[in-house]
Amino acid sequence: MQMFLQAAISGILMGGVYALIGIGLTMIFGVMQVINFAHGDLVMVGMYVSWLLFSHWHIDPFLSILLTGPLLFLLGAVMQRGFIQRVLGAAEENQILLTIGLGLLLSNTAMLLFTSDYQLLTTSYSSASFSVFGISMSVPLALAFMVTTIVAFGLYVFLMKTDTGAAIRATAQDREAAQLMGINVTRMSVLAFGIGAALAGIAGALIAPTYYIFPHVGHAFTLKSFVIVVLGGMGSVVGATIGGVLIGVVESLAALYLASGLKEAVVFGLFLLLLLFRPQGLLGRART
Amino acid sequence: MSSEVQTRVTTEAKTSLNASQRVAVLVGLLTLMFACLPFFVTKPYLLHMGVLLFLAVIQGQAWNILGGYAGQHSLGHAAYFGLGAYTTVMLMEQSQISPFVGIWVGVIVGAAVSYMIGAITFRLRGPYFVLASISVAEIIRLLALHYKDVTRGAEGFLISTVPVLQLGPIEVDFIGKRPFYFAALIVALITTALSYAVQHSKIGYYLQAVREDQDAAHSIGINLQAYKCLALVISAAFTAWAGGFYALFVKFIDPDTVFGLDLSVQILLTCIVGGIGTLLGPALGALVLIPLSEILRNPKGLVQLGLVASDSSVVRVIEERFSNAHSFVYGLLLVVIILFAPEGLFGVLKRLLAPARSERQAS
Repeated sequence: MQMFLQAAISGILMGGVYALIGIGLTMIFGVMQVINFAHGDLVMVGMYVSWLLFSHWHIDPFLSILLTGPLLFLLGAVMQRGFIQRVLGAAEENQILLTIGLGLLLSNTAMLLFTSDYQLLTTSYSSASFSVFGISMSVPLALAFMVTTIVAFGLYVFLMKTDTGAAIRATAQDREAAQLMGINVTRMSVLAFGIGAALAGIAGALIAPTYYIFPHVGHAFTLKSFVIVVLGGMGSVVGATIGGVLIGVVESLAALYLASGLKEAVVFGLFLLLLLFRPQGLLGRART
Repeated sequence: MSSEVQTRVTTEAKTSLNASQRVAVLVGLLTLMFACLPFFVTKPYLLHMGVLLFLAVIQGQAWNILGGYAGQHSLGHAAYFGLGAYTTVMLMEQSQISPFVGIWVGVIVGAAVSYMIGAITFRLRGPYFVLASISVAEIIRLLALHYKDVTRGAEGFLISTVPVLQLGPIEVDFIGKRPFYFAALIVALITTALSYAVQHSKIGYYLQAVREDQDAAHSIGINLQAYKCLALVISAAFTAWAGGFYALFVKFIDPDTVFGLDLSVQILLTCIVGGIGTLLGPALGALVLIPLSEILRNPKGLVQLGLVASDSSVVRVIEERFSNAHSFVYGLLLVVIILFAPEGLFGVLKRLLAPARSERQAS
């Protein structure tokens, strides 16, 4: 029982970060109906940015998200305005291929700049932990979970309470109708892609102290974020949050009861079952 | 003057061939050229590149049957490639079964697994199918990495020698690059011929109907599941053959190279660059991509070919700065092609040649 709780708790902490990545992907999909195959690579960029800031100027990764976030927002905005925007009307396959190409460019630029060596961002608290009722928790992951919660809550308030947030939601609901209401849908798309990229980058910065940093680290996050987003229902922010935490727990339990090498295989196996039996997601309603 | 033009036009009209004859002539010339090449050039680097080129053509043609004609963009073809490679190698190393038998067992395994995967994933459409195809390949890769006692995990397999092939009275010794070169060339031709046959058969028209509109195809009585599965099984069988052959040629396999997502992307890229759903697209794509990536991976080959001097700075610059750049170039090509020429190089060539031809006809 103790082991189970321990695994579940660390799963939830990791799941918080997954949720952040998933929310970014689901926002992009919601507003543009584009599946961003470069999403994990944006996480990777976030990891490298916070690693650079830490190793050159000793800026703590939890502080540097104030820089990482806006930087990644810019990167996302450029990707959307310069590339994705041009294929919004094209076949779905072409959109997917374009984002795959952009992802390859990102990960291989990192490779050319920093080589494929594994980098470590070791803070004074990287391996620290504390225990609550006999269950030990990693300090950086607990911090990451807290920041995630704050960011997700902030995003929720932004989407629900501000005019711009409402405009983004309107664009997601019905692009044409939103345009007819006088909303600049191109601007909303740029915003949504920027926010999605910023969330991915922040997530990357948050896990940088506990993860190996290398150019192709993004692959795994891309695939996992698809699972999260489909699980929560494509385009649903609340769904992605729940999906992220669920995937974190599933992974953690699979690592405990099967083998850590199989945890991702279990996630993808569940994903296939999900695609087959509830493609609308756990929370979504079947489209008629 | 005008009568002279007149006669030239009419003789041209008489000698001009229809589209499929032109393609046949082109394929014939290319084949002849590649078949003669090893008799003039003995540089192993060039023959090595040739084998990889033909393998890319085989994989591209195989993918094209499913992705090009039936419009099912699989990003999980590494699964079949890897199954072919692992079946061939494991039968050889662990059960002492000749690889010339094993490679066909690999084809059967690849085809059988693809049928099962198809039965499950073809209920999904568009991006959902793409995601499912990636997941399947990733699951197989992770399993191959994990069950070390069966697959040796990340360590992979190193093959020492390929036995002599006894073809009736003829003995083929797979030493050096040449036998691999000719074998791959023949199979590349076979897949191209098969692609032509599929394109011009009832199956091909059905597949293209599925690509254009699945619901419409279904409503006129095409069994979607059956035809998509048929395309996948053909496609997977040739991909698995390529996998087994690759293992014997390169003599080393591990899960990340033969089951990885990078490979699936590369297969699809071959078709995208050349032109999806066209007969010669995959060959054109391979002709562009393989030399490019090989030169970036191993620039010393340029010296061997005598194209650059051994002390040339070109080699040093590539080795120091761009040794891992082939994936970067792949990404760049993918972005440029999708943005500016989504119909691929074959489409671009057609567009460039078309005005010239109509001008000639107008005169």
